[in-house]
Amino acid sequence: MATIAERRLSAPRLEPWQDPKAAPYVHIERVTKKFGDVYAVDDLSLDIFQGEFFSLLGSSGCGKSTLLRLLAGLEYPSAGRIFIDGVDVTNVPPYSRPVNMMFQSYALFPHMSVEQNVEFGLKQDRLPRRERAERVGEMLDLLKISELRRRRPEQLSGGQRQRVALARSLAKHPKLLLLDEPLGALDKRLRENTQFELVNLQERLGITFVTVTHDQEEAMTMSTRIAIMDAGQIMQLDTPTAIYEFPSCRFVAEFIGSVNLFEGKIVSSDGDRVVVDTRLGRPIHMRSFLPHPIGTPVTVAVRPEKMRLCQEFREDGVNQLKGTVEDIAYLGDVSIYRIRVGDGQLVEMTLTNIQPRTEQALTWEQEVAIEWSPTSGVVLTE
Amino acid sequence: MTAPPTHSHRLSRLVNIGIPYLWLGLFFLLPFAIVLRITIAEPALAQPPYTALWEWVGDGMLQIQVNLQNFILIWEDDIYLAALLNSLWVAFICTVFCLLLGYPMAYAIATAPERRRMILLMLIILPFWTSFLIRVYAWIGILKTNGLLNNFLLWTGLIDTPLHILHTQSAVYIGVVYSYLPFMILPLYANLTRLDPTLLEAAADLGCRPFRAFLRVTLPLSMAGIVAGSMLVFIPVVGEFVIPDLLGSPGSLMVGKLLWTEFFSNKDWPLAASLAILLLALLVVPFVLMQRLQTRIEEGPA
Repeated sequence: MATIAERRLSAPRLEPWQDPKAAPYVHIERVTKKFGDVYAVDDLSLDIFQGEFFSLLGSSGCGKSTLLRLLAGLEYPSAGRIFIDGVDVTNVPPYSRPVNMMFQSYALFPHMSVEQNVEFGLKQDRLPRRERAERVGEMLDLLKISELRRRRPEQLSGGQRQRVALARSLAKHPKLLLLDEPLGALDKRLRENTQFELVNLQERLGITFVTVTHDQEEAMTMSTRIAIMDAGQIMQLDTPTAIYEFPSCRFVAEFIGSVNLFEGKIVSSDGDRVVVDTRLGRPIHMRSFLPHPIGTPVTVAVRPEKMRLCQEFREDGVNQLKGTVEDIAYLGDVSIYRIRVGDGQLVEMTLTNIQPRTEQALTWEQEVAIEWSPTSGVVLTE
Repeated sequence: MTAPPTHSHRLSRLVNIGIPYLWLGLFFLLPFAIVLRITIAEPALAQPPYTALWEWVGDGMLQIQVNLQNFILIWEDDIYLAALLNSLWVAFICTVFCLLLGYPMAYAIATAPERRRMILLMLIILPFWTSFLIRVYAWIGILKTNGLLNNFLLWTGLIDTPLHILHTQSAVYIGVVYSYLPFMILPLYANLTRLDPTLLEAAADLGCRPFRAFLRVTLPLSMAGIVAGSMLVFIPVVGEFVIPDLLGSPGSLMVGKLLWTEFFSNKDWPLAASLAILLLALLVVPFVLMQRLQTRIEEGPA
């Protein structure tokens, strides 16, 4: 899932947000946007740094698109300020901002050829003809659509339109590119290839990308950082790995990937080790970096792939549970098992299909014991 | 895979295609042929008031009578050609005015909030609920020397002698533009509501100021609506009779008025028919040109 992100980590680390001296490229300061009585963006602050591939992730109606439109200047905030490259652009109209946007519907001009579409922004800047032609050629080459230059949008496939839209938004060499669901209209296969291409392009051009997406896989693969949004606010802002492994609240844990949640109370706390009493009948031992007073109601979150089959079950074993296999979802590379444990809760476990499906040991109605390590989960208080 | 056409299949297809053709043949081609046939007759004191196309003159002889005198007359008497050209000119001016007035109105309606849009559209359509004739008569009351307009202007002190508008060409323009404005607005409105507003956002995002965005995006994309609206105004206005007759000067030359005179006053059906055919021929040219323009717009840059 995190191939590109991993590659990023092996390369010199791009983590300006860790550097207290780094000046943000985009600075959003307590911005609120109301539509009537609805808060689309609610008192939101956010810093985005030069060269980032930043993703706004959330379900529809969470305010992510509105935030993007606020950056583009297509909406103006009801309160708060927006700075781009140190300049206050809060009330600057879209046509005067150093920002370009790739629209979800691509918004290609239907009465213009591919070439004319790409050239449109350059014409507005009154660039001389020769320079315009050069830049258009450069963009068409970059996105490998030179042979489509005389076509019209209606004669293009979805993937080709996406490329034209990208070429058009990059033609003016913006420092900041906003992408609204850039891969939303592509089919799965094309989407995966384009993800890699987008990231390569972004690294090569050194442009700051801010994308909006509802597809978590897309956000995980491409982003340097992700902001998970809900109800106009940022629920968690972190790297893809941190968001997946260390969600800060139940909402994020449930939003990204699948997760098993066990509710309970802290019964003992010793350094970074806590014991949680749940309805499972036996205590859960977890590692937690936050101090939890005894009696605090908490939720333990453990991802299905962190669960494993228990080799030897002991009555006093750490985080071991007995149950029966109720459902098996065979996905080819992995299988998802739903196991009904002691108190009736369903626990999900993902196992890689090392053996062919037919030779697998686990089957329906089978009694199994599962376990997980105290370090492979998080304790959530929210 | 399509199934091989069965007998009933073919029959239903024949009916489907046949009915519109039958309709066109019965109510367009046949009347057209009759009018065409009258153009080569001579007026006669008979019922109908023109000579027959053929006559048996005995001895197995069939005499066919073709009279080209009408076309020669139209060509030789300046009044007919002048009326035709004047009608085209008046129609052109009125179309331009309708476009200049109608485009902003259609644009305003198309961009108005959903709820107000319906009300505004109703206001455009509402005049149709009153008879066309009555509405034109009402303009006489407004435009005449001691009419509403003059009294109002005198009252405000803008003028001190009444304007002479009624029975001038200006009155014709006013009446025509008033009457045909909805025919311009409705197709334009239909076209402009289909315009994707994100295209204008994209234009703004690419550095285009609103007015330029209008010129570069909205206007070219609404060209099909402009052509449709212009045809709906231009073509009927060329043959317009009622408005020039009621509001225009008695001496004004409009082909519609001329037709009326030849047909009803002079009872010269053949001449009237010839004039009508000529008018049709003259209209087909701009119509075909506009159709070409429209298909070119739809196909876009080569």
